[in-house]
Amino acid sequence: MRDTFSDYHPIVNFVYFTQVLVFSMFFMHPVCLGISLISAFTYSIYLNGKKALKFNFKYMLPMLIITALINPAFNHEGATILTYLRDGNPLTLESITYGIAAAIMFVTIISWFSCYNTVMTSDKFVYLFGRIIPGLSLILSMTLRFVPRFKVQLKIVSNAQKCIGRDVSNGSIIQRAKHGMRILSIMVTWALENAIEIADSMRSRGYGLPGRTAFSIYRFDKRDKYALIFLLFFGGYILIGYITKGLYWKYFPTMRGVRFEPYSMSLYISYLALCLAPVAINIKEDWKWKAIESKI
Amino acid sequence: MKKHKGKIIAGILILFVLTVTYFWGGNYVKVDKPHNKDSQINADISGEPSLIDKDESKEQSDDVESLNTDDDLDGLNEDGENTESGAQTDLDKLGEKPKKSESSEVVEEGSESYSKEKGMIIDTKTGKDKYLTDPVPEGKPIPVEPQDTVVKDASYTCTLSVRCDTILDNMDYLDEAKWELVPEDGVIFPATKVTFYEGESVFNLLQREMKKNKIHMEFRNTPMYNSAYICGINNLYEFDVGELSGWMYKVNDWFPNYGVSRYKLEEGDVVEFVYTCDLGRDVGGHSSLGGE
Repeated sequence: MRDTFSDYHPIVNFVYFTQVLVFSMFFMHPVCLGISLISAFTYSIYLNGKKALKFNFKYMLPMLIITALINPAFNHEGATILTYLRDGNPLTLESITYGIAAAIMFVTIISWFSCYNTVMTSDKFVYLFGRIIPGLSLILSMTLRFVPRFKVQLKIVSNAQKCIGRDVSNGSIIQRAKHGMRILSIMVTWALENAIEIADSMRSRGYGLPGRTAFSIYRFDKRDKYALIFLLFFGGYILIGYITKGLYWKYFPTMRGVRFEPYSMSLYISYLALCLAPVAINIKEDWKWKAIESKI
Repeated sequence: MKKHKGKIIAGILILFVLTVTYFWGGNYVKVDKPHNKDSQINADISGEPSLIDKDESKEQSDDVESLNTDDDLDGLNEDGENTESGAQTDLDKLGEKPKKSESSEVVEEGSESYSKEKGMIIDTKTGKDKYLTDPVPEGKPIPVEPQDTVVKDASYTCTLSVRCDTILDNMDYLDEAKWELVPEDGVIFPATKVTFYEGESVFNLLQREMKKNKIHMEFRNTPMYNSAYICGINNLYEFDVGELSGWMYKVNDWFPNYGVSRYKLEEGDVVEFVYTCDLGRDVGGHSSLGGE
């Protein structure tokens, strides 16, 4: 289960994730949401295996349900009144469905970002944008890497503290809280210091100065070209479809929009093809690998 | 110079955005001439179908057809009444109402001495009461706090209506998705005699009747003014037709200067909820919002 899509040129990876994230954020059509959700879950499970599966069910599902429930409590718009809430405002079908749709979108985006973090490593990001916007790309790559790095460092610090009996799992509740505060203060200090160190070390290497070259192992070859053409073609087609209201759907005041007309069907299929492109590439590559293996 | 290039560009950009915003002015309904209610209504009826026609991509062909077949206001009104199960609507009254509302455009000064005499407690510093209400004009009822009133069993009748005909003038400001909500004559709830119980406020009445007739209504409680605020009726919300739009209410052709929950109903009151697109100016209730 090697992710072949990660071996493609960074520009292909970046274009793919930009398209998928932007489309997921703007397309509120139920079919599009479904396609995006299924693709994001599939790809995240392909990339991160059991960990992603556990994460999706343990955190994403409850989050989805809570977000879906919050909306009808505050939003009372919609023509189909189901019943009345305790405070006298109506509970409408549209607000419930919109809540579900928004929750799905929310979960989908988080899932896509988990894939993004695995595929777009910081060296790829800096490779793409280091020349054009050096300062900003360094900040972005540091920010995007912050949480995973913080988690790793937290484990190290926590283990070290455990050795001297000062972890959050040692002692009474008050002592535990004290230990927790201590660990937190260590972590904050570490994070600030680390950021300054990175900035200093990058400057001492002449990062962002004119005339500085950077070594990279990325090559833009034929398969990257084909992949990029595929992504841009389908992305463009879907974008045109969205602008021409081929994916039109409104939730308020009544739910209406395009259903399964041929034009919209073609858009759904393109969207599915676009979202599942990396998974398809991976499966094809896996199959190829197996075919070669069996010959020997 | 090169060092400050970014700052200069950012400054120019901010200036540009501010200039554009200044000249754009905001998304409110621009009225070119002072409102003459009657001519406006006539304009609605002739102008409105063409507005709908523009929208060809819509699936509400049935709505459009029914619009095109009926061509005058009276016909529409009668239709609406027949379907309304024996509602005691007074057609003539309804037709004449806009004319009457012109009389209420005369700015009514709040009378402090009258309000005090009636029992309104007015702060001498601000000239307002506890819930930021100015004194009411002479001869008008003072606000009654809902928490102080007891609803009794004795039942009375009053007239309630909900109209949004001002939207018909400004359909292009309304989101296309909401066009289906605006009735062709602008009447959401025709003038009907309804029952209320002693001590009830306009809000209680509206809530009950909207619930009974399955018309959507959303409100928000505003503790600052000690009243409910009607955000939307029939899914037509405040700010749907520009920034100055929303629901207003009038009782016996007077727009009270306090909230719906604080107006205690009396026998025979005529309660009207109207949608304004221009902060009350187009329905004659601008003075209740503190306008000149």
